[in-house]
Parts: sequence; structure tokens; C-alpha cells
Amino acid sequence: MESLYNVLGFPILSLSIFLPTAGALFIWMFLKDDMAVRWAALAVSVATFIVTLPLLLFFDATTAHMQFEELHPWIKAFNINYALGVDGISMPFVVLTSLLTVICIVSAWTCIQTRVKEYMLAFLILETTLIGVFCALDVVLFYFCWEAMLIPMYLIIGVWGGKNRVYATLKFFLYTLGGSVLMLIAIMAMYFKTGGSFSVLAYMDYPFNFDWQFWIFLAFFIAFAVKVPMWPFHTWLPDAHTEAPTAGSVILAGILLKMGAYGFLRFSLPMLPDASQYFVPFMVFLSLIAIVYVSLVAMMQTDLKRLIAYSSIAHMGFVTLGTFMFTEIALEGAVFGMISHGFVAAALFLCVGVLYDRMHTREISAYGGVANVMPVFAVVMMFFAMANVALPGASSFVAEIMVLLGTFNPSSEAMLYMPFSMKWVAILAATSVILSACYTLWMVKRVLMGDLVKDEVKTLSDMNLREFSFFAPLIVLVIWLGLYPAPVLDLLHVSVAHLVDQATSSKLADAALIAQGAAAHLTGH
Amino acid sequence: MAHVTFPFPFPEHLEFLIPEMIIAMMAMVLLIADLFISKDKKQWLAYATVLVCIVTAVAVVQVTTGHSATSFYGMFVMDPLASFAKLLILLTTVFGVILSFDYMKNEENMGEYYCLMLFAVLGMMLLVSSNNFVTMYLGLELMALSIYVLVGYQRNVLRSSEAALKYFILGSLASGMLLYGITFLYGATTSFSFAIIGSALAESNESAHGVVMLGLVFVLAGMAFKVSIAPFHMWTPDTYEGAPTPVTAFISVAPKVAGFVIFMRILHDAFPAVQVDYTNILVVLAAITIVVGNVAAIAQRNIKRMMAYSTVGHVGFVLLGLIAANEAGYTGALVYLTVYLFMNMGVFAIIVLMRRDGMDGELLDDFAGLSKVRPGYALAMGLLLFSLAGIPFLGGFWAKYAVILPLIGAGHLYLALLAIIVSVIGAFYYLRVVKYMYFDDARVTFNFIENPAMKAVVIVSSLAVVAIGLYPEPVMAICKQALIGFI
Repeated sequence: MESLYNVLGFPILSLSIFLPTAGALFIWMFLKDDMAVRWAALAVSVATFIVTLPLLLFFDATTAHMQFEELHPWIKAFNINYALGVDGISMPFVVLTSLLTVICIVSAWTCIQTRVKEYMLAFLILETTLIGVFCALDVVLFYFCWEAMLIPMYLIIGVWGGKNRVYATLKFFLYTLGGSVLMLIAIMAMYFKTGGSFSVLAYMDYPFNFDWQFWIFLAFFIAFAVKVPMWPFHTWLPDAHTEAPTAGSVILAGILLKMGAYGFLRFSLPMLPDASQYFVPFMVFLSLIAIVYVSLVAMMQTDLKRLIAYSSIAHMGFVTLGTFMFTEIALEGAVFGMISHGFVAAALFLCVGVLYDRMHTREISAYGGVANVMPVFAVVMMFFAMANVALPGASSFVAEIMVLLGTFNPSSEAMLYMPFSMKWVAILAATSVILSACYTLWMVKRVLMGDLVKDEVKTLSDMNLREFSFFAPLIVLVIWLGLYPAPVLDLLHVSVAHLVDQATSSKLADAALIAQGAAAHLTGH
Repeated sequence: MAHVTFPFPFPEHLEFLIPEMIIAMMAMVLLIADLFISKDKKQWLAYATVLVCIVTAVAVVQVTTGHSATSFYGMFVMDPLASFAKLLILLTTVFGVILSFDYMKNEENMGEYYCLMLFAVLGMMLLVSSNNFVTMYLGLELMALSIYVLVGYQRNVLRSSEAALKYFILGSLASGMLLYGITFLYGATTSFSFAIIGSALAESNESAHGVVMLGLVFVLAGMAFKVSIAPFHMWTPDTYEGAPTPVTAFISVAPKVAGFVIFMRILHDAFPAVQVDYTNILVVLAAITIVVGNVAAIAQRNIKRMMAYSTVGHVGFVLLGLIAANEAGYTGALVYLTVYLFMNMGVFAIIVLMRRDGMDGELLDDFAGLSKVRPGYALAMGLLLFSLAGIPFLGGFWAKYAVILPLIGAGHLYLALLAIIVSVIGAFYYLRVVKYMYFDDARVTFNFIENPAMKAVVIVSSLAVVAIGLYPEPVMAICKQALIGFI
């Protein structure tokens, strides 16, 4: 217990996890009026954001050790602990979650008119589970939050979604549930293998032999790949995104997709380094398909949200590609890409939301010449479109260039099973720069540019102050991190270096020693 | 001083049976009282039944010793496991009686209804305490006969009678099979006692193997019928659909608890020597049960039928704990039964509440738009359904967790994989009810029974499911303690 590393001396992670739920309970019990509910939900989410800020300020970037740790026994019969802690990889996502929740609540201010209270409750409870996922240092606690997240998300898409919402939300729920149950089985098998532990850190240290790593990697892979989502497990995402209300899409693209990639970083790489190396060609292959093929698919979409959804899958392909290069620059690029995509994709969905609130259609063909009537909006959307293309100056450029650099020069461990040079991979991945420009700019052309011909478009009014208020922080962050990414990269640096170290050091020698020891024990020596 | 001599040796530790005596006596008192109570005061019988259950529960706690002890020459066992099961059964009964308050108000002979319920409880309490095939058979039949009548209680309703008849015929067949199996075992070991059969089987030679196997198979089949393990589950959907809804609620939980506890006793005490054989059988049965229950539930439009198949699915999961056959596995089975009690009673309470104009609100369509009309009930129902689907932060997740972990520990990885993948299929039909409640608009008007006690059942069940989901430690610890003296 005394080894817990928490410079703040109070359970800040628990506070940020439970504050939204406590607020939700308060709203549920005491508030009736819709406007009061909105303000209260905003207050709770802002308070949670403020609570998570000390994580940034007091984070010690010089160590890869878990920080702000908490440890309490939860279920003694199975040795399950309520263990929390963050390192440089998970901490940014906690802050990102609390920030995006505030934006979600503001964005829903007027467009959600039915069952406002339930909507806000669902978002606050969702925030609890999301922060829980990124803080959990006990695999069962991780799984608990990972699955619990499905309930509010199911309701958010199903109750406030578009006209095909029932199909979309059921598909989302069953797809993700089906993916993650195998992870549960893998966790349970690891529990017995490690002699009765559910600790993430214990799993990182335990030398699994290759067979174990192989199967556990596959089980985890399905869970994470569905969530990322990687081709060919991605089909739920366009449906879910299209039918979800704006804020649902924002949180889906901003945080939920990151959970899958985070899973690879937190579980697969450090716990199963040899299997991770073995599967590099496979992962690279799927990532390339996501980058190239899914980009092409995105080009052909006629629905704004679908287009951005496919573009999200393509960008997450970059993240998974960088993850499996096992070099610091690529991994930092991957994590930075996740953060940056959290801003850019969220903002693009918010842009669609602004349009949808006025026109109630997502069809690209229904628009045209919007820039003439909504000049401020056009600038904002253009800005985020450029960020989506990864133009220099935007945060996404930093991420993509780092991943590409890392891919040109991968670690030798990533090359162990690779049949050909990674340069070809990098060259293929780099086509994304063109492809993403194609689909994004074409969309911009069809929506914002051109002459005003459609009557509905002529009557559009520009963004109001509330709408601008949730774009403003995102614009600042994208430019700031695009021009000067050092503050975030400094946070990541030591933790990522530690992760690279874990991912590139084979566990097989230790596993063989253990097997020998067991054999010696059995024969009585 | 006059020395009183009994014509027979007086059984020791008769005090262990005080709870059973209370139930038996009060059931008969109520039966007679029913004759003298005017028709508009019959409701007092229901309140009295609740009181009897509570008093009996207190008595159960009082006679529990914390270790295993027997009475009636080893035929009646009193251990924490029996007490725990009795408390679960009594709690279910209290819930079941409360659900009957309004439902049965207009039935004829309402007094007998509650007496029959008490007799069923008596049978179950005897069942979980039996240490011997004869006591077990007595308890089983007392339970079954009472329940046959309860199922057919609405004798003017065709499907109620049909349900009772089907249940009776198939149930008698199963009892016959059970008896047949018991005779084989008696032939092989010359005893009815679980413990003596267990030790005799351990020492028996190969020549008796065939007879023992026959006995084992018949006993397993009989038990499988009683707890609705597929392919012996055929009676379940018809019976659940036809029975009065409070009775459905009652029989979906209490006999399952009793049946599984005695199942545990038989397997653990009488059949340890043939564990490999019975495990092979149970693995197949569990796989079939989980698949049949969850897949067939998808096709149902009637929620009572759906819950019947859902019960079959859950029974398969409880069986997983018995397959693991160690302390963790049995604990898991008890945890599952406990959580299952709250989930099912809560769901059925809401189904009963939705009864209107003499019609049950029992089609899935009837739930459309519930969240707009009665958000409180919709929320409770939603929580219970997500719990049944096994999604965290709700109790159902830990129930599944508690049986699957020991199962993997016992080496049945493929069965665990199958179970957990099928549970995803199962999630679909629970989610569909949530879909009706939350995503659809109301098609019919709701006319709820307003009864504070029934509301309390809903609230207690859903709170219990959430509380167990967030902090399962107490339930798991209690279930583990319940096995002291048994393992």
C-alpha cells in the first residue's frame, strides 16, 4: 500500500470517475425542469474537467511509473482490486474525455428537446465508464467499465438517433459485446496462469510462453479491433455514427474508438510482446487496408456522417500502424494521432451537427454554396477539413508525419516476421495524404462551395455564439498542438519509451526458464 | 419418577425441523381459517402467509449452527447450505405472495392458494435438507404436487389447465425416471443415503459399473427435468405461459434453487466416484441447455414464454458451476441463483403490474413506450434486463463471472467459450424488450396495478441487482460461507 504513487495525496482519479455519476444521481433525484437539467449537467461536466486538470499540472513526466495510484480490495474471493493509476499514455485520454463531455453537453443544448434529463444522465454515466477504462489497473475493473459503457451508448443511439437507429444501436451493442466477451475468457485464463492475479502490471511482468501469447493476443485482438475499428470489423461504425445524435458521434469518434487502440498499447504490446511481434505483418496489412481501401470507400459516400465515419476508420489505421512499429517516434505518433483525431473528428461531427440542426438532412447533395450564407461556419468547417487532411500546422500533421517516419525506420523486432521491407508499407500509407485530401476536399466543395441554388440552403443562418463556443477550444488546441506539440509529447515520452522497451523485450527466455523449473520440479530435482 | 418410554427411539436434534414444523402447522391453520373468513377478508390470508414466511426465516437463522449436523438418523441434514437455500426460497415466496395480492384477489378459493404455496415451500425446504434419496423424493413430490395445482389454479382459463396437465404428466414421468434410477443405485449399494452410496461407489468393483451408470443417468434425467435442463425443458414454456403470472414468478425461482441445491448434494455426496462420467453428461447437457434457451427465446413474442426460455438459458449457466465441482464452482452456482432470484422476481413483478382489465400485459408489444408513460418502471425493467443479459455494472455480470471463472479453472475452456458466445446471442432478446420500452411509441394505454407492496418488490429487486453489480463482495462471501460443512 505504501508504494502507491500519488503526489496529490487524495484520490483524484476516483473523484473524476465518480463526480459525473454523483452529479447524474443528483439531477435524477432533484431536477425536473429541462433548462435546470442542462445547466446542472454542464456544471457537473465542467467540474469534472476542472478536477482532471491537476492530472496535467502535477503529472511527473520523468517516470514511466503509474501515478495518482489508488488500490482497494473490491472482490476478495477473486483477488479483484479497485486499482487505478495513469501513466503518460492514459492520462491525456482522461483529460480528453472530460473535455469532450463538456463539448457534448453544450452541443446538445438545443437540438435535444425530448427526454433531456435522460440524455444528460446517459452522458454523465458514460463519462464515468470512459474515465474508468483509461484509469483501470485491474483487468476486471477495465473490462467492467469497458462493457458498462455499452448501456448508456445503446440508449443514446437508440433513443435520440436517426430513423434507422434501432438497427444501428443493436448492431453496435452486439458487435462490441461479441468482440469483448473473448477478452473476458482470455483474462480468466490469464488469471489462472499467473497464479490468481488480475493486476495489469502483474500481467505485464509475467512471462507467458508463445502459445499463450498467441491465443491471448487473438482474443484481445478481436475485442480491440472491433472497437478501433479495424477492417473487416468496422461495419458497425458507419451505421452507429450515422444514426447517433451529434454528441453521440462526437464521443464515439473522440473517445470510444481510442479505447480499442489504447487496449493494444496497454495490453497487447507490453503483456504479449512476442505475439505482438509475430502479428506485425497481419496488423500492418489490416492497417493498410484501413488507410487505402477505406479511404476510397469514404470518397464514394453520399452521407456526410458516413463519410466522416469512414475517414475516422482510415485515420485509426494510421494509429494501429504506428502502434506496431515498436519505435518511440511511431508510438508517440500513434498516441498523438489518437488525441489529435479526438479533436478533429469530434469537430467535424459537430460541423455536421450544426448543418443537420438547420436542414435535418445529412445528404451531401442537399447542400451546396453554404459558404455564401454561413461564412463563419464555412471558415470553421474548412479549417477542420484541412486538419483532417493533415495539413502542416494542424495537430494531425504532426501525428501522421511521426507515424510515417517510424514506419520508414521500424525497430528490428517489428521486422522479425515481416516478409518485405517496411518502406513499401510507408509508401502505401503515405498515399493517405492524397486520398484523405480527395475525399475531404471533394466533400467541402460539394457542401460549402459553389453557387446558391437550393432554396433551403438560402435560408440558413450562421452559427450562433453557443455553437462557436464549442468549436473555439478545439480550434485553439488543433493549431497549438500542430505548431508546438512538445507539451503533449513531453508527457508521453518516458511512458512510450518504457512501452517500447516492454514491447521489444521477449518474454520467451523467462517462459522457458519457468517451464524448465516446472519440469525440474515435477521430476523431483 | 415416571419414566416415559417411547415406542420408537426418539430422533435427536428435532429442533432442526422447527422451521418446517412452523410451515406445516401454519399451512394447516390457514387452511382451516380459510373456512371461517368471509370473502372480503380473504386478503388477510395473504398477509398471514407473508408473516409465516418471515417467522420461518427467523427460525431458520436461529437453528443454523454453522456446521453440518443431521437429524432423523442422518436422513435430514442441517448445514449452512440448507439454511441458505431455505432463506432464498422463503424470500422468493414472500415476493411471490406479494405479487399474488391483486392478481388472485378475484379467484375462487383464494385461501387454498396460499396454503398450497406454503406446502410447496415445505416440500422445497425438506428437499434442500435431505441427505437421502427417500427424504429427497418426499420433498420433491410434495413440492411438485403443490405446484401442479398452483399452475392450474385459474381453472376457468383454458391455458392454465392445459399448463397444469402438461406439467403434471411430464412431471410424473420424470419422477418415475428418478425413482427408477434410485432403485438401480439401491440395488448396487443397498442404501438410500447419499453418503453411503458415495462410499460404496468408491469401493465398488467394475461388475456393478453398468447398473451404477444406469442409475446415474436416470437420476440425472429426473433432476434435469425438475430444473428445466434441456432437452428435458419441454414443459417449461407452456407451463410458464399458462400459469398465473405470480405462480410463474414463484416457480421460475424457488424450485430451481431447491433443485440445484439438492443436485449439488447428490453430485457431491453420492457420485464423487463417478465424477468423470457425470461431468461428461453435464457438459453436454449444459451446452445444449444454454444454446436452446438463448436461441429459442429470440423467437418468442410473449414475454412469459421468453422468460421461460431465458430461465432455461440461466439454468444452463448455473449448471456450469456444478460442472466445475469445486468450492469456487458451487459458490458461483449459489451466487448465480441469488442474483437470478432478484432479476426474475423483479421482471415478473413488472409483468404482473402491467395487468389490465383482466388481461395480462404479456406481449412484447405491450411494453412499447413504457419509458414515456412510467419512466420508473421502465428504468427498473431496463436495469433488470441488462442484468439478465450479463452486462456490467449489474449483478448478472458477476453471476456469469462467478460460474465461468471456476469452469475455466477446471479446464472446460471450450464450454466456457460456448457459454459466453451464446450469452451474446441471448443479449439480443433482452435488448429487444429495452428497445420496445425506450425506442418505440406507446400503442396501447397502460393501466397499472397500484400496489405499494408490489412496487416495493420492483424497487428491492432492481436495487439489489445494482448493489450486487457494484459491490458483489458480500454476496460472494455469504455464498462461500454457505458451503461450510458441505465441501
